[in-house]
Amino acid sequence: MKKFIALMLLVCMLVCGFLTACNNNSDNNPDDTGSQGSKTSHTVPTGDVTVTFYHTMGKNLSDVLVKYIAEFNKVYPNITIDHQTIGGYDDVRDQVITELQAGKQPALAYCYPDHVATYLRSKKVVDLNEYINDETVGLTQAQIDDFIAGYYAEGQQFGDTSKMYSLPFSKSTEVMYYNKTFFDNNGLKVPDHWFSASANDETSLEYVIKKIKEIEPTSIPLGYDSEANWFITMTEQLKTPYTQAVDKVQDRFLFNNEKNIEFCEKFRSWCQNGLMTTQAIYGGYTSGLFTNTTANEEGKVIHSYISIGSSAGATYQCPAKSDDGSYPFEVGIATIPQADASNKKVISQGPSITMLKQKDQTVNDAAWIFLKFLLTSPEFQAEFSMASGYVPVLKSAFELDAYKEFLSGANMTKDGIAALSAKICMEQESAYFTSPAFIGSSDARDEVGKLLVAYISAASTATQDELKKLFVDAYNRCVTLNQ
Amino acid sequence: MNNAVTIKKQKKPKAVKDNFESSSNFKAWLYLSPALILLIIFSFYPLINTFRMAFLNGYNGLAIVGGEKFTIGIENFKTVINYVDFKLCLKNTLLLCVVTVPISTTLALLIAVALNSIKPLQKFLQTVFFLPYVTNSIAIGMVFNAMFTRVGLGDLIQTQGIINNIIGIFGIEPINFVNVGSSWGANMFVVCTYIIWNAIPFKILVLLGGLQNVNKQYYEAAKIDGTSKIRTFFRITIPLVSPMLAYVIITSFIGGFKEYSSIVGIFGDGMGPGSNGQMNTLVGYVYNMLPKSNSGNASAASLILFGIILIVTAINGYVSKKKVHY
Amino acid sequence: MAEFNNAVKEVNVESVKASQRTSKIIRYTITYLFLGIMAIIVIFPFYWMIISSFKTMDEYRANVPTLWPQNFVFENFTTAFSKANLLDLFKHTLYVGLVSTVLSLIVTILSAFAFARLNFKGKNLVFGLLMATMMVPGELYTITNYLTVSGRLPFISEPVEAFDITNTFAVLIFPMLVSVFYIYLLRQTFMQIPNELYLAAKVDGTSDFKYLWKVMLPLSVSTIITITILKMMGAWNAYIWPRLVANDAAHQLITNGLRGASFTDEFGETNYPAQMAAVTIVSIPLFLVFVFLRKYIMRGVSRSGIKG
Repeated sequence: MKKFIALMLLVCMLVCGFLTACNNNSDNNPDDTGSQGSKTSHTVPTGDVTVTFYHTMGKNLSDVLVKYIAEFNKVYPNITIDHQTIGGYDDVRDQVITELQAGKQPALAYCYPDHVATYLRSKKVVDLNEYINDETVGLTQAQIDDFIAGYYAEGQQFGDTSKMYSLPFSKSTEVMYYNKTFFDNNGLKVPDHWFSASANDETSLEYVIKKIKEIEPTSIPLGYDSEANWFITMTEQLKTPYTQAVDKVQDRFLFNNEKNIEFCEKFRSWCQNGLMTTQAIYGGYTSGLFTNTTANEEGKVIHSYISIGSSAGATYQCPAKSDDGSYPFEVGIATIPQADASNKKVISQGPSITMLKQKDQTVNDAAWIFLKFLLTSPEFQAEFSMASGYVPVLKSAFELDAYKEFLSGANMTKDGIAALSAKICMEQESAYFTSPAFIGSSDARDEVGKLLVAYISAASTATQDELKKLFVDAYNRCVTLNQ
Repeated sequence: MNNAVTIKKQKKPKAVKDNFESSSNFKAWLYLSPALILLIIFSFYPLINTFRMAFLNGYNGLAIVGGEKFTIGIENFKTVINYVDFKLCLKNTLLLCVVTVPISTTLALLIAVALNSIKPLQKFLQTVFFLPYVTNSIAIGMVFNAMFTRVGLGDLIQTQGIINNIIGIFGIEPINFVNVGSSWGANMFVVCTYIIWNAIPFKILVLLGGLQNVNKQYYEAAKIDGTSKIRTFFRITIPLVSPMLAYVIITSFIGGFKEYSSIVGIFGDGMGPGSNGQMNTLVGYVYNMLPKSNSGNASAASLILFGIILIVTAINGYVSKKKVHY
Repeated sequence: MAEFNNAVKEVNVESVKASQRTSKIIRYTITYLFLGIMAIIVIFPFYWMIISSFKTMDEYRANVPTLWPQNFVFENFTTAFSKANLLDLFKHTLYVGLVSTVLSLIVTILSAFAFARLNFKGKNLVFGLLMATMMVPGELYTITNYLTVSGRLPFISEPVEAFDITNTFAVLIFPMLVSVFYIYLLRQTFMQIPNELYLAAKVDGTSDFKYLWKVMLPLSVSTIITITILKMMGAWNAYIWPRLVANDAAHQLITNGLRGASFTDEFGETNYPAQMAAVTIVSIPLFLVFVFLRKYIMRGVSRSGIKG
């Protein structure tokens, strides 16, 4: 009984504490909102400044960065760049969010659009147009035009297109890897669209995977790595609703509609007939299925012959050399299939950089000088891309001899496959899209990924109502998570 | 457990204790002060802050920086309770506790007693049982996933996983433990196994520490009396390590209610096969909210959890007051 | 464990002796078998961690997991070592680990003594409050504590620079210093020590402090060592908090140094084999500490056996 009274007292104490403490919450007035909005011109800082930059680079990439920081410091010895590898993209996001709340955020950080959408609520994200359009430190029109347009537009996708909240750093997309040896031997054509228009539509993916299954029943013809990418890409290609950036939470998530159910239904029939799988359904990396050469517990070697995945992960799609030094099969790379030849779409991935407001504006000015140095340097872009497997965001980087040489080394080996996928990436430059970013857009992405998995893998006995309920549930989760 | 009471009566001069120390008020607070000062700053204040955030509708840490204001109310609690998967989270959390705490405690006690009763290899085995404690959760989670994962589609299976291979020897059909389409029960089994595995080393450490402090004379007396081993175990061993047992049980209940990382270890952030969230827990919900800096909802969910743990701990404390022998 | 009871009631002395011997053998067989099986189960993930640290990324990603690396690569270890300034990292970690362990022990012992032996008003309330702090998910503490150590104090709208203790060793030591778990554990041990000893000491006029130092501590050595190990390990494995508050070169701890250096590959994906290698490197000193301190546990136990 004593203990119970003690606990009750504790609860009372805490509630009292809360009542007294809650009065102070609103004191944190944002003194500097909008103060930078007035057209003050920016200058190159002359005093000593330190700029913090959070990223996710591993050692081989940060080496490239360090090299260019040294170059940068030859010109601006007073600006110190404190760059830190934080972990993965989500780690960077979590740390920036926490630091924003204490006012200790870094000046520059790797970002995805979803992250920026979250940061925006703190009103601490710098509108880069202030710098880009600045007369003394801004970008020239030629420099702006050098960016690949599709990537550059990503920074304007936050509701107000007159504001620029991020600049592209390096990019990748999804490409289709196929077993060229198998395709050549069986006279198959590389598919360029998803669905068969007729029974003999040889260039449709549907036709090809059915054919592969006929030729080799113990294969899973197609593996697709990312379910979320697949769903979102389909909505872009088919121009069906997915999400929109509006104020009302209930209206942001539009993916529950008949047209989307239609393509899910199609993929469901493929999956149920053993024609395709995804990473979650398969239970392992689909690149592992594609390159597999070892027999399973029953002594069979199970393959896929087509694998759709990130262009930056090309080395994983190349099989290991056999003992005699030859490759078990040749890998071909092509653009992913489309739904509508007049509306080609592929998803844009890879990090951008966002700038966050600092107490001292000269730090932001210095950060801009560094950002400008990095992102307008084709040499840096090329070198970074060659080390990473991502593609440059500047057109001029492709004109450099070093990069041309890299691309000319494109072949089917482990060393050359990255260049090969970079080539395919560039070919579809005009088809890149990013979906609107807003608070909750990452939930939408997560939910449609889960939805696609659940839908196409649901037991064959599942009724139409049960399947439709998956869509409703996904929508409800998105809404309740963001209220 | 009734046996504990018999020994207790012989040893505890309760009345003496009470009238002796009432004068030591000031000294007690002096002894406590270093701990209390630090706790007030780094534990009580955050706890109070959690209350504050929970009762400010839609509280968001980033929005505060952005200058938004919030009204006082219980909207956060409503949001949490109305969340589609709230009931599921609650059910998973409760079930995980009820299943794993007794099993892991019993196993740890058995291992500790067995370790204490042997001479050869004792040091070696003690070290072995401590090993998992120096591994980290990422490594362990991945191992569990690798052991249970089936890779393949339909009839085309690459591997059924090590566990299925082992139970296959006994003629049992392979079970889909953790992959897409696996049942809630199968998932629960894997998660419970993992949690029990994870909890055992620490418990062995604490219980063995307790056992080795037990005076050997008790056992010798029992031996001379011809008391059977089982009787000795229940009449002497358990009562003598009961303070350690109480500690282990209460802390593992609290830990069990906060279960999260083991599920992430096995299923990833999606908290279920195919990220379907069917193994999600209350803390899982809290973590879902934090990357969006939705501290209001996260705090409300924490407080609901806090309430549940408080009740369970109170019951635990009540029971152990009756049963624990000091 | 039940089998060995059955045969006891035989009349013949010889057969009693014989059956006792058999039951002893059976008992030991069962005990060792049980311990052996449990040991294998318990050790497997550790084994897995070590072999994974020798695998290539390709092998790690393979569909059929291999129980033994196809070919050993040491590259993961060099990756884990290459960028991190290991000597400095060890120094920082050792410093933080030792200081926080010593301070934490002092604080824990004093509080556990107060809770176990002294009677004072509000004892139950304070103890209840302490227990309550264990019940909130740690992540919620992190945010508020981060604001506190950054100088953002309650009731003051502007951050106070003087209270900004980020990037110091203090911020790595003090917020984590008090563990209610340890206080609770030690209190339980203290409460086992018969009250008569304390009363006798009181009669002799021994001060509380002397009693604590001369009687209670020697009797609780094994628990104190358990706490020492756990605390050291905590300092060694701490990751989220140090990364947040003191990730500069002058204060970086080992786990952060290793993670930052090697855990992501060029695609921003986690390089698991390298991560396993780093975890292995970090685990080895801990493991050695345990092997080394285990003797002290034994010694402490035998000592308490003599006196108790």
